Amino acid sequence: MTVALAVPDILVARAQAGDEAALEALFHAFETPVYNLARRMLRNAEDAEDVLQETFLEVVKSIRHYRGEGYLWGWIRRIAATKALMRIRRDHLRATEPLDDEHGKTGMHVGANIDLERAFQQLTDTSRAVVWLHDVEGYTHEEISELMGKSVSFSKSQLARAHARLRRMLGEGEGAHA
Amino acid sequence: MMHCTMDDLLALRAGEASAWARRHVEDCAACRAELDSLYQRVAQLKALPTLRPPRDRWSVVREGARVQRVRRHRTWGSWGLAAAAALLGVLLVPRFGGDGSSLHAALAQAKDQSATLEQQFQNYDVDGRVLTGRMAAQVAELQDNIAVIDGDLARWGALKPQAQDAELVKLWQQRVELMRQLVTVRVSNARYVGL
Repeated sequence: MTVALAVPDILVARAQAGDEAALEALFHAFETPVYNLARRMLRNAEDAEDVLQETFLEVVKSIRHYRGEGYLWGWIRRIAATKALMRIRRDHLRATEPLDDEHGKTGMHVGANIDLERAFQQLTDTSRAVVWLHDVEGYTHEEISELMGKSVSFSKSQLARAHARLRRMLGEGEGAHA
Repeated sequence: MMHCTMDDLLALRAGEASAWARRHVEDCAACRAELDSLYQRVAQLKALPTLRPPRDRWSVVREGARVQRVRRHRTWGSWGLAAAAALLGVLLVPRFGGDGSSLHAALAQAKDQSATLEQQFQNYDVDGRVLTGRMAAQVAELQDNIAVIDGDLARWGALKPQAQDAELVKLWQQRVELMRQLVTVRVSNARYVGL
């Protein structure tokens, strides 16, 4: 999702001064991209709503420290991505699953030629997060590795595995590149 | 014939491919088709419909922010009191001879260090800078451990308000060590998050 949201500096300044109406305006300007990011990274809608809420709690708390470097959306997006990744990590810890699990959900139909959205949802949480952050949001592997507390090669291998799985699930080119 | 792997294709897309992969993809129709598929897949991912939140959560966020503000003021207020109490303890508690004196000195030193580290943490903990997953987990774990020690200290204070036991000194020293780790994590974060 490409977000070309620009918010007036005066609105940011008012929000930094604690103006509740300005904070609410920022919330409504960014709630959809934040929710979309979280929803694409996470498996269910409730978790994405929680991330939306946690992200804006953080925004309200920390906006006075936002120094206007880069786009506000970049700053908010980083908060949202961090919150979503923390949730993935927490869920993995609870489920005692390895973070780099590559097996995916059970019931995946390899080569079933399902549509991309469904195939994307079938990826593991970690793979889905890496694919979305890298391919859609435009994060570099270095940035993803920093956010995830993992190495650059981990991010790269997750992306390669995820694309290989997407390719199989979508039934693309059953020949040489399986 | 050897073909490009998915790693090769992704590297080609990123402009970081090896010379072999670059040459191969020019000559191999199958690999060119794979690379096209990869581009198309990414384009389709970018074109997936935007998912919108099912309900307005602003009122929940506003209320949560208000609660956080109140809690933060209380926390800093109580930490300030704790620091003041530690200082008063250093000034007012009578000096003991022998082992009692060394215990007292160790206790006063640990409390003093703890208060200093609290202040440093306050300086770096700029109202919840964004942390990486690993750092957030470290901070949460350290704060949990400190809370456990604080609970022990509170119980100790209720049972033996004048105690200078070695166990009490040990608890304070553990708290100092945890606070030191917490400050270290925060300082590292402040250096590179740059928000």
